[in-house]
Amino acid sequence: MDYLQIAHDVVKAASASGVEAEAYIAVGNETQIQVRQAEVEKLSYAGSKGLGVRVIRDGKMGYAHTSDFSPASLTKTVEAALTLAEIADADPNRGLPDPKPLRGEDLAIYDPSMLAASAEEKVAFQKAVEVAAFAYDPRVKVSNMNSYIDAVNQVFLVNSKGFAGSYQSTFAGGYIMVMAVDGSDRAVGFGLQVARSLNGLDAQKIGREAGEQAVKLLGGRPVPTQTATVVYTPFAASGLLGALSRALTAEAMQRQRSFLQDKLGETVASDVVTLLDNGRLPGGLASRPFDDEGNPTSATRLIDEGVFQAVLYDEYTARKVGAQSTGNASRDGHSAAPRLAASNFYIQPGQQTPEEVIAGVEKGLYVVNTMNTHSINPVSGDYSVSAQGFWIENGKITHPVNNVTIALPLSQLLKNVQGVGNDLTFLPFAGAIGSPTIRVDGVMIGGSE
Amino acid sequence: MLPIESVQRILAAALRNGGDLAELYLENVENLRLTLDDQRLEGATQGNDIGGGVRVFYGNTAAYAYTDDLSESALIEAAHAAAAAARGTNKPRIAINLTKTPSALDFPVQRSFADMRTADKAAILRQMDQAGRRYSPYITQVGAGYNQTSRRVWIFNSDGLWVEDDREILEFTVNVVARRGETIQAMRTGLGGQMGLELLASKDPVAMTVDAAESAVRMLDARPAPAGEMPVVISNGWGGVLFHEACGHCMEADFITRGGSAYGDLVGQQVGPDFLTAVDDGTLPGRRGSLRFDDEGTPSQHTVLIENGILKEYMWDLTEARRMGRASTGNGRRESFRHMPMPRMTNTFIAAGPHDPEEIIRATKKGFYAKKLGGGQVEIGRGDYVFAVTEGYLIEDGKLTAPVQGATLVGNGPESLRQIDMIGTDFDLDPGVGTCGKGQGAKVSVGQPTVRIPKLTVGGTERAIAGVMG
Repeated sequence: MDYLQIAHDVVKAASASGVEAEAYIAVGNETQIQVRQAEVEKLSYAGSKGLGVRVIRDGKMGYAHTSDFSPASLTKTVEAALTLAEIADADPNRGLPDPKPLRGEDLAIYDPSMLAASAEEKVAFQKAVEVAAFAYDPRVKVSNMNSYIDAVNQVFLVNSKGFAGSYQSTFAGGYIMVMAVDGSDRAVGFGLQVARSLNGLDAQKIGREAGEQAVKLLGGRPVPTQTATVVYTPFAASGLLGALSRALTAEAMQRQRSFLQDKLGETVASDVVTLLDNGRLPGGLASRPFDDEGNPTSATRLIDEGVFQAVLYDEYTARKVGAQSTGNASRDGHSAAPRLAASNFYIQPGQQTPEEVIAGVEKGLYVVNTMNTHSINPVSGDYSVSAQGFWIENGKITHPVNNVTIALPLSQLLKNVQGVGNDLTFLPFAGAIGSPTIRVDGVMIGGSE
Repeated sequence: MLPIESVQRILAAALRNGGDLAELYLENVENLRLTLDDQRLEGATQGNDIGGGVRVFYGNTAAYAYTDDLSESALIEAAHAAAAAARGTNKPRIAINLTKTPSALDFPVQRSFADMRTADKAAILRQMDQAGRRYSPYITQVGAGYNQTSRRVWIFNSDGLWVEDDREILEFTVNVVARRGETIQAMRTGLGGQMGLELLASKDPVAMTVDAAESAVRMLDARPAPAGEMPVVISNGWGGVLFHEACGHCMEADFITRGGSAYGDLVGQQVGPDFLTAVDDGTLPGRRGSLRFDDEGTPSQHTVLIENGILKEYMWDLTEARRMGRASTGNGRRESFRHMPMPRMTNTFIAAGPHDPEEIIRATKKGFYAKKLGGGQVEIGRGDYVFAVTEGYLIEDGKLTAPVQGATLVGNGPESLRQIDMIGTDFDLDPGVGTCGKGQGAKVSVGQPTVRIPKLTVGGTERAIAGVMG
């Protein structure tokens, strides 16, 4: 099917009645494999597609979507969007972007080698992940989740202002969660890697990391309630950064939903904190040539050496204050209108190795995993999560820790960042979150007593 | 949807390389979503999602292929893709007889979604916004949402199964922000169910908005939460999400059969006090987690998980049940045709207990009362869990006193369950907007009476002062 042509046709049909119109088509091919004790447990193959139509009449927006591309269904979808636009309240800042020149550099988001990988290779890969995890130590016994996923995706976007674009991307990821069992004691470890192709994944590394983490966490116990330093691995920091990214959008500011409300231009973090969003990072998991409403993606320095410099914009929030979109309109597939979200969002790495960061801590918690990060509140700035990791005394790891909470208002947490490692790592959460190892002082640790 | 002869041909194509069982799942979802924010009805979205998937079981493996093209030829192509990996333990089957089985459950919809104009649905959201703002000058933002979903499913398999289910889900959600000076509080809530617009006859989204505004304003005076171990009382209704997360997930068969759950091999054992009974029940009319048939065609059922403190049963889907040579409990669910089923909860709750709920508070000299829980998470292998408390109070001398913010509850599911020392008589189910995430979203309900756990870690930013600690 010529999807770009379908998008053009839909825009033409919708805009015939004098509205601004946009068609977004996403097409994907996906493979998922789940392996359990050396046996393929689940295999899933699919091709899927979807169309979303957005229309704006006099500042009133309507949206309709379908996975059925028959002419009758497309007509019905366009009509639904037009009807729904009658219901919305008018907002003069609603409008589709004018086409802007797109830079043509290779973002390295499409790896054709992904297409050449056979199902057998993928199965063999994920079996190797499990073997590597179990091989780390005989106490590694159970894999609760051991799965491989890949996808080849295409996006087609056309609007009535004259924008037309498309791009394709590939994705591959391997994940395992294992349990180490020692008598009645149990501990969990996981390994995760994502890349643009199966070739970019290392089965040994994913499996070994999961096995090692589970075994090392055996014997974990809470520590007494106290205020101490917390060192986050990149993985542990990602949950925190995900919430932070939601507080740094123009929408959060304009709608009074950010603990950083009214703080633009002020020092909001310690001077080791520089926070960036870059939708054009080569190979970045959230990189793409244009955002989900056709604005070019860009790099934005949000916090520069502790000073709050900028927020993320889409077309709507930018028009509202006479700014330029930063290219951060984003969609969860075709079934919803774009919303404002971070792309590749990360803390700029520093000079110290993770080992050096830990060695500088007199007393504290080295956190390798946190739970319930989705409850971090970017509006009130409340931050309280549970943590697992290792206790640090005089720069050395002493024993594993579990079932403690770590808490500090986000506004204070940013100011208490006292160290940033050199090991920037990206994870596929909320766009793509990247963090090096970071050290935060003065965190309330809730535990025993 | 498809002629039954097509279904038979698709199932036969799925078994062309052998295989033990073939299944065809077809789905048609229609959705309408309205969102109001910043005083404007700004988004109105309507969608239609159709598709189907073919699954082939062989030994302990299940291969699946799905498509959003519901023509016979596309589904046969999917059947061939799923069949490709099957290792023939059986002979290919040609003739598959299908018999339609009606559900014994009656989930009536009294007022269909079509019975109200979209504009009038939008008007309710505007009333919610106005009521929230009118409540207090400290309310700086109101977001309101309306969401209706009609999900029709058809399930067939090569054992002759043919069932259909029709799931109408309605929900209203609201989030309010209150601000006074530098202090900001956000509160979100909702109401809904598996029903039509008759929901509005018994529930009022506008009153719900005022309640949320009241909570948000009250929380402006909240003190930072204490940190440390103390007795914790959890409110009835939505508080049952703690059991869902901390214990329910550990009773899902996929973790059990792997040996990966804290509740493995404990059927027949005492896992809680003798006044504790817990149930998963997908047959309740009007409830969000209810199903006439699950997404594999198994009739929904009332499953007693724990009876008088004794673990009785886990929750099974077809895959895990086949592995163990037993029957499914009707807990095989999938988010959509794009997903393979897995064991999931439906409506899961702790039943009423013997204690007067007021007495539970009175009997707690110093502790913490969790009125509203936010999201939670569990680590299945150990049963360690964590919960955010969006509205909490200190208990001092048997009375609720200061509101506290930013608290988190941390514990171990099996341990907390054993420790429960009081269960109220005030059983209630949640307001009906719960969605459980386990890689896939599933609409669920939770419930419980007031419950007390005598020793639990509360994570806050304040070191618990003498006076607050239990």
